[in-house]
Amino acid sequence: MYGTQSKRDLALEFQSQIPILRPSIHARRANLTVKFQDLYGFTVEGNVDDVNVLNEVREKVRKQGRVWWALEANKGANWYLEPSISEGIALKSSLKFSTLANAITLKRLIRKGIPPLLRPKVWFSLSGAAKKKSTVPESYYNDLSKAVEGKVTPATRQIDHDLPRTFPGHPWLDTPEGHAALRRVLVGYSFRDSDVGYCQGLNYVAALLLLVMKTEEDAFWMLAVLLENVLVNDCYTNNLSGCHVEQRVFKDILVKKCPRIATHLEALDFDVSLVATEWFLCLFSKSLPSETTLRVWDVLFYEGAKVLFHVALAIFKMKEDELLLTHHVGDVINILQKTTHHLFDPDDLLTVAFDKIGSMTTNTISKQRKKQEPAVMAELDQRLRRLNSLKLDDK
Amino acid sequence: MARPGNKIIQAKLVLLGDMGTGKTSLVLRFVKGQFFENQEPTIGAAFFTQILSLQEATVKFDIWDTAGQERYHSLAPMYYRGAAAAVVVFDIASKDTFIRAKKWVEELQRQGNSNLVMALVANKSDLEPSREVDTEEGEEFAQENGMFYIETSAKTAENINDLFYEIAQRLAKACPSKPSTMNLNNEVQHRRKLFCCFG
Repeated sequence: MYGTQSKRDLALEFQSQIPILRPSIHARRANLTVKFQDLYGFTVEGNVDDVNVLNEVREKVRKQGRVWWALEANKGANWYLEPSISEGIALKSSLKFSTLANAITLKRLIRKGIPPLLRPKVWFSLSGAAKKKSTVPESYYNDLSKAVEGKVTPATRQIDHDLPRTFPGHPWLDTPEGHAALRRVLVGYSFRDSDVGYCQGLNYVAALLLLVMKTEEDAFWMLAVLLENVLVNDCYTNNLSGCHVEQRVFKDILVKKCPRIATHLEALDFDVSLVATEWFLCLFSKSLPSETTLRVWDVLFYEGAKVLFHVALAIFKMKEDELLLTHHVGDVINILQKTTHHLFDPDDLLTVAFDKIGSMTTNTISKQRKKQEPAVMAELDQRLRRLNSLKLDDK
Repeated sequence: MARPGNKIIQAKLVLLGDMGTGKTSLVLRFVKGQFFENQEPTIGAAFFTQILSLQEATVKFDIWDTAGQERYHSLAPMYYRGAAAAVVVFDIASKDTFIRAKKWVEELQRQGNSNLVMALVANKSDLEPSREVDTEEGEEFAQENGMFYIETSAKTAENINDLFYEIAQRLAKACPSKPSTMNLNNEVQHRRKLFCCFG
């Protein structure tokens, strides 16, 4: 087991080790590509401008940290963990004004980012993971880990296959210690919910959770709350039906919110699911730089799964002009990939996602999901029957 | 680069096969000449492009490299829809992946188009000592199903270029060279571009 202490040290180490990079004028002129490590230890390749942006982001993260500390000093430590605030979205008139004000402050604050050092505590509480954990005996995770040790299932075999393939080269994840921790979280979860078992994509999500949370056990509970409460049901089960539903809802929202892009892509015969499926299943961890991904998750854990629609729409919206000029599917994908890989400043993305897209209520989205569910089920069912008829023909 | 007066074929190519058979590695070797021992698993699909110049045509590939885990199967139609070529991959050191490859072929035959160029790729030929699928077995299945069979290794680069050249050649043959801007398949009318030639 890896200790609580070593994990926190690791995060601090990353942050202190990284010197402010000052690219020379020669590098700037030559438009060189440089490799460097970001806040969470991922190797990033970028040009001089990217390095500058990352330096600015680092400074902004520090400033945002000071804002949070100041609020703690003012409102008391852990003010945001008070249940009526953390669950404060249900704003009842009976609530005290100060509680309401705090809830609004918190929402705004979270959209501006949770400082990396506070993330474990804030995520754990606001996502509902703490509550989930409190409903079972204290030893649940350790008992589970022990009980499943040495058991071999199709899921464990696939997990073992993917361990060294999950963010290879990362200074902690790609070590025996990192592999072992990721394995325990994924294997443990595969036994907790055998309908999900192991779905590729969860390896990336769990790996990032491990990097952020202080302990392996907390990472496990974050994964649990994510799959069981935050995201729509059945995103990762057998035929990914929940994911299919989300994709259909996303297409509808794109038509509504970005009609020009939707029409243009339709004319190119470009299905947005071609790119958005990975975004939704990996929660952007494979496409966005790490701090940007985690800023999306900050909001995801507080405001819920509709955040994924906001962010996905924002990526299209940011490149509207360029996208409208494309003639070919390949160009669309290249623009989107280049954009996501270079979104080093999370605010560039989140400003569009929340200020320019306009609001979407969880309620409206739930209704749209309900509307799409029967169509998805019918489609998957029809496909299954077709495949079964293939098998019958063989006999 | 396109040779002057040569026709250009735009072709969508899809890779299908079980997880860990080396689909992404095949493409990366072909497109970038790279190989990574620990290639990250693909989620949904990844997109690549590559251009091959032949004597008779220039083939521009749009390559869709799909996720291999069984549950991602339900996404596959989105990726093979309108493909001109399909590469079905298995790992010579795993019988299970060959069984899965056969299923892919059956599915493609039912839903794809009759002009689909199909390749059965036995990857990881560098793992000869742990081979579980005989060459004859693979060849026989490929022949029965009108595909061509090739054994490759993304790791050593063996036969990777040959695989894509063979596909390009078959596409060029299927695509008549005379008229300018001719669409080969009437499905294009439904805006499902299979492949088209420009004179």
